[in-house]
Amino acid sequence: MRRLPPALGRLRRSRLLRHLAAGPTAALGVGLVAFGLFFGLGSASSASTPVVSSNPAVIANGQSLFDVHCSSCHGIGGVGTVHAPRLIHVGAAAADFYLITGRMPLNAPGDQAMRNSPFFGKGQVQALVSYIAALPFIDHQPTVQGPGIPNILPLCKDTASATATNPNCVTLSLGQQTFALNCSQCHQIAGAGGMLAKGMVVPSLKNATMLEVAEAIRVGPRPMPGFGPGELDARQLSAVVHYVAYLHHPSSNGGLGISNFGPVAEGFVGILFGLGVLLFAARMMGTRA
Amino acid sequence: MSSTRERAAAQRRSSLVKDGLDYIDDRFGSSPFLRSAMDKIFPDHWSFMVGEIAMYCFVVLIVTGIYLALFYVPSSAAVVYHGSYKPLDGQTMSAAYASVLNISFHVRAGLVMRQVHHWAAVVFVAALCFHMCRVFFTGAFRKPREVNWTIGLTLLVSVLLEGFSGYSLPDDLLSGTGLRVVYSIIESIPLIGTKLVFLLWGGPFPGTSLIPRLFLLHEFLFPALLVGLLSAHLAILWRQKHTDFPGPGKTETNIRGSRFFPQYMLKGGALMFLTTAVLCALGGFVQINPIWLYGPYQPYAVSAGSQPDWYVGWLDGSLRLWPHWEFRSFGYEIANPFFPGILFPGILFGVMYSWPLIDAWIYKDHAAHNLLDRPRDKPFRTAVGVAALAFFSVCTIASASDLLANDWHISYERIIEILQIGVFVAPIGFGLIAYRVCIQLQRTGNMIIKKPIGGIIVRGGDGAYHTLGDHHGDHGDHGDHGGQGDHGGPGGHGGHGDRLGGDLTGTGHLVRTGGGNGGAGEGAPAAAGGEHAAGGEHAAGAEHAAGAEHAAGAGAAIPEGAVRRGTGGAAGDEVQSPGGAPKEAPPGVAGGETEA
Amino acid sequence: MTSIDESSSRPEPDPRPAGRTGADQADVPESLLPGTEEYLEDPRHYGIEEGVPWPDDVPRGQDDTHWRYEDDPHGARVAELRIAFCWLITLLSGIGLAAVYVAGGEAQVEGAFLFAGFAGLGVGFVLWARDLLPGHDVIGSRGGLTHISDEADRRLAVQSLGRGVEPMARRPFLGKVLGGVLTVFGVSLVFPIASLGPAVEGQFARTPWRKGMRAVSEVGTPVKPSDILPNGVLTVFPDTGEPLDSQAMAQSAVLLINIGSAPFKVLPGRETWHIGSVGSVNCLVAFSKICTHAGCPVSQYDWWTHELVCPCHQSTFQVLLDCKPIFGPAPRNLPQLPLAVDDEGYVVSQSGFTEPVGPGYWNRPIEINPFTHKAVKYS
Repeated sequence: MRRLPPALGRLRRSRLLRHLAAGPTAALGVGLVAFGLFFGLGSASSASTPVVSSNPAVIANGQSLFDVHCSSCHGIGGVGTVHAPRLIHVGAAAADFYLITGRMPLNAPGDQAMRNSPFFGKGQVQALVSYIAALPFIDHQPTVQGPGIPNILPLCKDTASATATNPNCVTLSLGQQTFALNCSQCHQIAGAGGMLAKGMVVPSLKNATMLEVAEAIRVGPRPMPGFGPGELDARQLSAVVHYVAYLHHPSSNGGLGISNFGPVAEGFVGILFGLGVLLFAARMMGTRA
Repeated sequence: MSSTRERAAAQRRSSLVKDGLDYIDDRFGSSPFLRSAMDKIFPDHWSFMVGEIAMYCFVVLIVTGIYLALFYVPSSAAVVYHGSYKPLDGQTMSAAYASVLNISFHVRAGLVMRQVHHWAAVVFVAALCFHMCRVFFTGAFRKPREVNWTIGLTLLVSVLLEGFSGYSLPDDLLSGTGLRVVYSIIESIPLIGTKLVFLLWGGPFPGTSLIPRLFLLHEFLFPALLVGLLSAHLAILWRQKHTDFPGPGKTETNIRGSRFFPQYMLKGGALMFLTTAVLCALGGFVQINPIWLYGPYQPYAVSAGSQPDWYVGWLDGSLRLWPHWEFRSFGYEIANPFFPGILFPGILFGVMYSWPLIDAWIYKDHAAHNLLDRPRDKPFRTAVGVAALAFFSVCTIASASDLLANDWHISYERIIEILQIGVFVAPIGFGLIAYRVCIQLQRTGNMIIKKPIGGIIVRGGDGAYHTLGDHHGDHGDHGDHGGQGDHGGPGGHGGHGDRLGGDLTGTGHLVRTGGGNGGAGEGAPAAAGGEHAAGGEHAAGAEHAAGAEHAAGAGAAIPEGAVRRGTGGAAGDEVQSPGGAPKEAPPGVAGGETEA
Repeated sequence: MTSIDESSSRPEPDPRPAGRTGADQADVPESLLPGTEEYLEDPRHYGIEEGVPWPDDVPRGQDDTHWRYEDDPHGARVAELRIAFCWLITLLSGIGLAAVYVAGGEAQVEGAFLFAGFAGLGVGFVLWARDLLPGHDVIGSRGGLTHISDEADRRLAVQSLGRGVEPMARRPFLGKVLGGVLTVFGVSLVFPIASLGPAVEGQFARTPWRKGMRAVSEVGTPVKPSDILPNGVLTVFPDTGEPLDSQAMAQSAVLLINIGSAPFKVLPGRETWHIGSVGSVNCLVAFSKICTHAGCPVSQYDWWTHELVCPCHQSTFQVLLDCKPIFGPAPRNLPQLPLAVDDEGYVVSQSGFTEPVGPGYWNRPIEINPFTHKAVKYS
């Protein structure tokens, strides 16, 4: 039997992961020093494209984008209106999550924000996120902060380092455990998604990137509850993120997963295919009148 | 073919066979039995094989189950998993769950065995249900087979219990959730519920006693029960012989089909292999219950989309459809799950168990039958069956309400509300439709008729047959009382008369006359006597004769001209149907079976 | 499986005199005609009783000795090869199966070989039976409509039964004594069943929550009110000082919900049960996680509508209305747990629950004393 699902290997090699693991790197320096320090520490940034920039030019660009595309609902300066919430303290993670998954801008205020192809390009997202992240500073209330871009710890390389207390790396097992208790009740145990009351859709996690998952956990995009560090610490968060990535291609040991939807799908296959083929065989063998 | 060498070889084999049989007979005196067993005739209709498919699924279940039992650890003791499936490494889980992971990832060929086992269970129940529907809609449960219907139903109940206990054994998050719901259902039984769950679980949920007990039930008690019931089911079938659809050459007292040896045995074996093949294909290629994704059971966690296997879905659905009612007075309450979880299945199975009685009462039919009804012949029964199926289907759909909501982008509240209405409307609607369709088919169908003809059939100058004194059509359902019948409808009348007996799709040529040891003597209404008469159809063998002249034995089908019958049973004595005399081998018997 | 159509499309069967075998006359040497010794020893005639004639009008398809390629040696040979080919597939699959096993096993390949092997076997058998073996489509007697015995036999059986029953019935005293004895003895035999489980004794109404117990996460971390963000939710258990067993966890799981500034309806007598004031940014309430319908963990929380949904049967509870069921089969509110904050700032319970958690049962009290955990009210 296979030792380790290939998806894990792929994950380890993934560029994204290396970047995420690279930890705090750039983002120090130019412009608002306090701002840079604040965001640089938690950011999943890379040297080339930091998610949050402290460059005033970028922030200014973000502001103009915001005024054109977002302010009609969220108000000039993100103060909020009757249609849409105040954005001043939502933090970079929220802005990044809603924009890179294409959830914002909405077609109509009041719709449930669903995954879509992103409206903004990469640079535009960076500008907008930087602008949102800078809003508390512009508003002179830098102490009240929404969640920043979460840092994702890497998976432990070997079993020796995979102890429950190792603060530098996480295991899929921790992820499974945390996912089963905190996520599976809505997202389904294989991340297939589901539905809440009033037709609220729980999205499938099959397309969610690791960064998106991490941001969603911290942000709590409506109607999902957010999980602060007091509920899921950095290790649990990272573990869940890795486990969700693993769920994109879980162990295929048994064959086709039929979406891992559970017994209903299995019943369909069993009756339609299993009994169906056998009935056909019986029909070929027996008489028909 | 007839060369000397071949003949010699044949004779050598013949003497070998003889020696072998002699050896056995010297010890058991078994030749008469063996002969009757090998000569036994089984009808060939394809739908009669579905019960067999179910049986072969059971065989596969036993074989794979034994294999799995060698590795399964029926224990709730907590262990820390360090197996080859890394995403669960280091987690504390029950020894039972760890052993199922072990079967799935460590035991070579273990996973394919486990999946084949589970798929076999899914297909098993599906085949059973199909088989039961066939028996119901064709009236195969009527006298003398009521007891076998009862045994079959008990088999179904035992299979459902066996299936659910198996579903619960892995002790993963899914199966634990199922057990939690069942615990609540049993707990809700008035008076004894709380005591009962404590006895079963050995204390409050989830406890540590249930897994070993479930294993005992799943691996010993229920299978033993199933084997016993199945043996009885088959022995009775063997004794009573299989029913058959009416048709050319078939009467109530003869049986047409393949010899048990070699035809049926080989085909049965083949079907067993094919069943196994399909189950192995499913087991190899389609995941079923990927328990490693679910993780160990935690009583405080649950996954969305937690459903039972499909055959328990109707119960889960009924739990979802039953409103938020529970009843309380004098400090005692009948809790909510009792109604959909205990009372509702109790009533349903009560009706199913007593259906042979109800059916006999409705149709005033207490006579024995070997020939089946076509569903259209008994529109009311068919309508009841279709209504029941609609009811079960709505309940089953309800158990997937959350998935459907997700799929169809409707809120599940709406779906549940629709289904709450549908659970009443769908059975009535589909039942009525089925009834109308049956009547329509009776009128227009140009197939052979099955019903007693109480009227007088005359052949007119144009060669067509007409029934005099027939109320026709609408009352076909009640024909059994009234003594009128259907004669195949206008579409099939003209110009067939001269080809009578030579035309399979002829119109209503099979006229069943009264006679034999039918109902009249048992005090059934006169018309019933006609219907149940052993006389069976005319044209027993003659239909096959492809235009050949009817010889005296079987041929007497319907004399040219008019067939005159009195109404109902009175006719029985007058017109002795050909080949219909009871206890007398009809013509066309090829080496008839000897009676065991 | 010879359908009538096929049989009638076969060459017209020659009118066979009584006593003829099913084989065409031309094929059968005189020596194989019935009545001769050779006839009886010919294995093709097993099952045909001597003297039982083939009726003239029975088409050849019903002939007990007929098989499909009887008259077609070439067709028979092809059929033979076809069957052998099917079984060859089985052979190869068997070898493949063994090889895969030895190589370490792989469910899909094993499944494929098992499928091919059994399918080859099965199809081969079907073809064999269809093409090369007799016994198709024959008609036999059922030996009567039903298997009923002669009246004489029945009467004899009644006599035999009567032989014992009659003398038994003559002693009604013994019958009564036996009935009484068996009832008492039988009931006493049922007693060992009680060993299966402990006495109930109100255990359904009891949870491990006690006054001042800290709420801890599933890994045992105590929780501060600030740990749960507005609109956040956390599953907690009582910190009893020792690890909880699964039964205790099943009974005591509680959802700690930060309802944010939403307007929570405070029931009279429960004014101090939440942490933080209603309408402020942070307001913590706690409800049992065990559904009052069938006991599943109610865990889908929608912070926008403040609804809790049970994933099992979609019972929906409105948190702001004290977890009142607003949809689905759940009949009762989720019980609320009174909360407080201890000296070190951790969330604790003021007491146990004041009503039983979980689904209903026959003698469920509607109110229990949260300190003594005894039922105080049944109606």
